[in-house]
Amino acid sequence: MDQQGQNGLMRTFREPWRSRGALAYVVAALLTGFYVVLYWTEWLTPAAVALGLRSKWLLYGALYSVAMVGGAAYYLRHHGNSRYNRVRIAVNVGVQVALAFLLPLIMPLFGGPEAYLSYFWPLSYDKLWPSTLSSLPVYLALYFIVGSLLVAPLLAYRYGKRWYCSWVCGCGGLANTFGDPWRHLTASSTRSWRFEKVSVHTVMFVAVLTTFLLVLDAATDGATGTFHWLVAGGQWWSVKQLYGLVVGAILAGVVGVGFYPLFGPRLWCRNFCPMAAMLGLFQKLGRFRIAVKKDMCISCGNCTTYCEMGIDVRSYAQSNQSFTRAACVGCGMCAHVCPRGVLRLENAPREQADKARVRLPVVDL
Amino acid sequence: MRVVIIGNGVAGIEAAITVRNREPTWSVTIVSEESDHFFSRTALMWVHTGQLSHACIEPHERDLYARMGFERVRARAVGLDTAARRVFLAGGLAPLPYDRLLIAAGSRPRPGPWPGADLRGVGHFVTHQDLAWLEAEVHGGPSRGGPPPRPDAHLSATADDSPYRPRPVAARGGARAPAVIGGGLIGIEAVEVLVAAGLRPTFFIREDWFWPMALDPRESAWIAERMGEHGVDVRLGENVEALVGDDRLQRVRTDRGEVDCDLCVVAIGVVPNTDWLRADRGEPYRSGGQPVKLDARGGVEVDEGLTSSVDGVFAAGDCASVPWYDGVRRPEQLWYTARDQGRVAGRRLCGDTALYARGVWYNSAKLMDVEYTTAGLVSVGVPDERNWFYEERGAVRSTTRIVLSGERVVGFNLLGRRWDHEVLVRWIEEHRSLDYVLAHLTEASFDTELVPPLEVPARGVELDGPAPTVIDGGMPAMVV
Ligand SMILES: Cc1cc2nc3c(=O)[nH]c(=O)nc-3n(C[C@H](O)[C@H](O)[C@H](O)COP(=O)(O)OP(=O)(O)OC[C@H]3O[C@@H](n4cnc5c(N)ncnc54)[C@H](O)[C@@H]3O)c2cc1C
Ligand code: SF4
Ligand code: SF4
Repeated sequence: MDQQGQNGLMRTFREPWRSRGALAYVVAALLTGFYVVLYWTEWLTPAAVALGLRSKWLLYGALYSVAMVGGAAYYLRHHGNSRYNRVRIAVNVGVQVALAFLLPLIMPLFGGPEAYLSYFWPLSYDKLWPSTLSSLPVYLALYFIVGSLLVAPLLAYRYGKRWYCSWVCGCGGLANTFGDPWRHLTASSTRSWRFEKVSVHTVMFVAVLTTFLLVLDAATDGATGTFHWLVAGGQWWSVKQLYGLVVGAILAGVVGVGFYPLFGPRLWCRNFCPMAAMLGLFQKLGRFRIAVKKDMCISCGNCTTYCEMGIDVRSYAQSNQSFTRAACVGCGMCAHVCPRGVLRLENAPREQADKARVRLPVVDL
Repeated sequence: MRVVIIGNGVAGIEAAITVRNREPTWSVTIVSEESDHFFSRTALMWVHTGQLSHACIEPHERDLYARMGFERVRARAVGLDTAARRVFLAGGLAPLPYDRLLIAAGSRPRPGPWPGADLRGVGHFVTHQDLAWLEAEVHGGPSRGGPPPRPDAHLSATADDSPYRPRPVAARGGARAPAVIGGGLIGIEAVEVLVAAGLRPTFFIREDWFWPMALDPRESAWIAERMGEHGVDVRLGENVEALVGDDRLQRVRTDRGEVDCDLCVVAIGVVPNTDWLRADRGEPYRSGGQPVKLDARGGVEVDEGLTSSVDGVFAAGDCASVPWYDGVRRPEQLWYTARDQGRVAGRRLCGDTALYARGVWYNSAKLMDVEYTTAGLVSVGVPDERNWFYEERGAVRSTTRIVLSGERVVGFNLLGRRWDHEVLVRWIEEHRSLDYVLAHLTEASFDTELVPPLEVPARGVELDGPAPTVIDGGMPAMVV
């Protein structure tokens, strides 16, 4: 039977591994350690080769897919009574396994490049770098340029950034499956919101700037030697290398996933992802919104607690205010856990969304 | 200007915020025995299961009181001197002077009328302290979310008959055979938390079907079926006669026999929390001046402006008896009405002439895992009543009941799907016909995305006569 709401009551705060008990710290340490090993050593390469995979990155793709499938089973056991949740997770896991593992595994066997088709710029920060584009076949270069600059923003305008962040993206996918047990740990204080607004837009700015500098460097053909060296040089502190180290490895990997059990699964998506920031701006201008049913909110806090992006959904719901927040990834969980069915995700044209609200029980004399 | 507000619930806090937004310099004092922070009483059940922590159910960040400049007194109010304009406090605290007073003291649980109702192992599920008791009985203590801040800060200034006194614990995490008495909303929530803790409660309901205040027998049968599937032993039409045990609860005796129990949640309704306002009560209660007028149920009688019988004294929320659509005064006992009343009362405290105008009735709830929306009149003896009832059993299971008075649609009772009551209320106000409503029903749908819409059968659903009711005289659905 299809149901819309949370089925049965969760024991979140009675399970120590989900509520910052000792085990949560152990898991966080293991995850963080794994990413350090992955990024800065070659220890995983022999294991990959032994399994018949060409590189440690394909092994990582395999492990990532396994974590997502396992996490999806956990997620569906808790929230699978709702059709939106079932379809969304199935698509997200499907995209990961097909486009971010099997395709890169198989394409080179037929002479193609090892391309990750579900990742776009600026999340996949090097996708639009001249060095990357020039190494790709023309059809793939076009795919990434049109996908990143045109299709992604347009879809975000039409359906909200959820089309990417909660249906396609691997980072979001891991957060919503493997990371689901910890979604309530995302901070929802005003302070955390202030931090997020500054940090996520800063990273977006830096991502655009880095790309711009690299394009400039390629356009001038590395003519000015010092500029080329500063921007695209091989030393670890050139703009290109530094961005990869800080944003690509430390923030997205080590911190982003390693800290799942302590700060929730969307630490990266919320505070650092340049793609989320960019699509968020289009979402804010576009049609996606969360509609709030008048007066039905009982201020219980389920929505705010289980919002993985730390949005204080309750503050909108209890003041009868439909809303669009740039951060919202449209995971649908707020609507799912709301015990009074107050919230609904919508892609409504503006006129319809703003339809006049009727009477208030307060009469002024 | 000194504003004093008795009660830190939704009515009290909304009033306080309203006053502060209008009058930055007035002194606003909030007296609350139960808790330091305003919390959502409706969310107690999820704190018990561990789905939420205490901090989660506080709708404002904890710096609210400092930010808004509210004075907070954590003590029991034990009486009122309306002549000298001051509130008496327990624990030997100095009386609190006021210029304008709001009574927003909420409800207290109705005590069980049977012998043994004060045994250890017997309690309620209404206050913070009730929650702490039930957590101790079932789980041995609070979840990792921890207890609320300063849970016992009021104990130096309370009274023996206060509903906010800690309740003695019998089982300390060892409760195995729980019972719940009373088939209202709080009763079913108590059942749910016990089920979530892996227990199989016995659910005693005096009426012949579950929650006749709101559901007709067909709707009720579905909910009872859901409860059965979760291992609940639902005893309909069974009257409790006594709670049996020496010191500690051992059995519940009913008109049909005895059931072994080591824990019992009594959820037979709530009453206005106003005994402390009655004159002529013994220590520590005191009074002076003309007492505030209470109605037969104990609610503070107020007019549309939420003004009591005494000048400068207002009441809002569960403890206020407000005029209903039929002219009769009753308390409303709902979250959103308490909130709205708090806002109106706040305006009154500022000296405005705002009115509280109750429109068409509506509410929503969740019964086990079944969504419930109601609007208008559904179980109150509607003149010339007819019912359109349709049960959907496909990918979605739902029931749709539309109540007519003659040709006019006057009520909706909807289970299993989500609906936008605003549209339903508009149709009721517009005196729509059944044909119109059925043709436009999808406009009121609030289902989540991808859920197949309800397909209303074109014809073939017979109209029934009046829905059976066990209630005589006008109290619409949704009494806790
Ligand atoms: C378990 C449960 C579930 C519920 N679920 C729903 C629901 O789903 N939907 C819905 O609409 N309603 C629901 N309700 C009802 C709803 O919670 C109440 O209608 C609402 O909380 C009333 O708010 P209030 O501000 O009037 O009073 P309360 O929230 O009861 O607040 C009373 C305040 O007064 C203070 N106080 C009282 N007496 C004194 C005194 N003598 N001295 C000092 N302080 C005092 C207390 O400390 C407290 O702060 C539920 C109630 C319960 C118990
Ligand atoms: S607001 Fe709701 S849909 Fe958006 S991210 Fe938070 S929980 Fe998900
Ligand atoms: S919107 Fe729903 S989940 Fe959120 S606080 Fe209100 S009732 Fe609770």
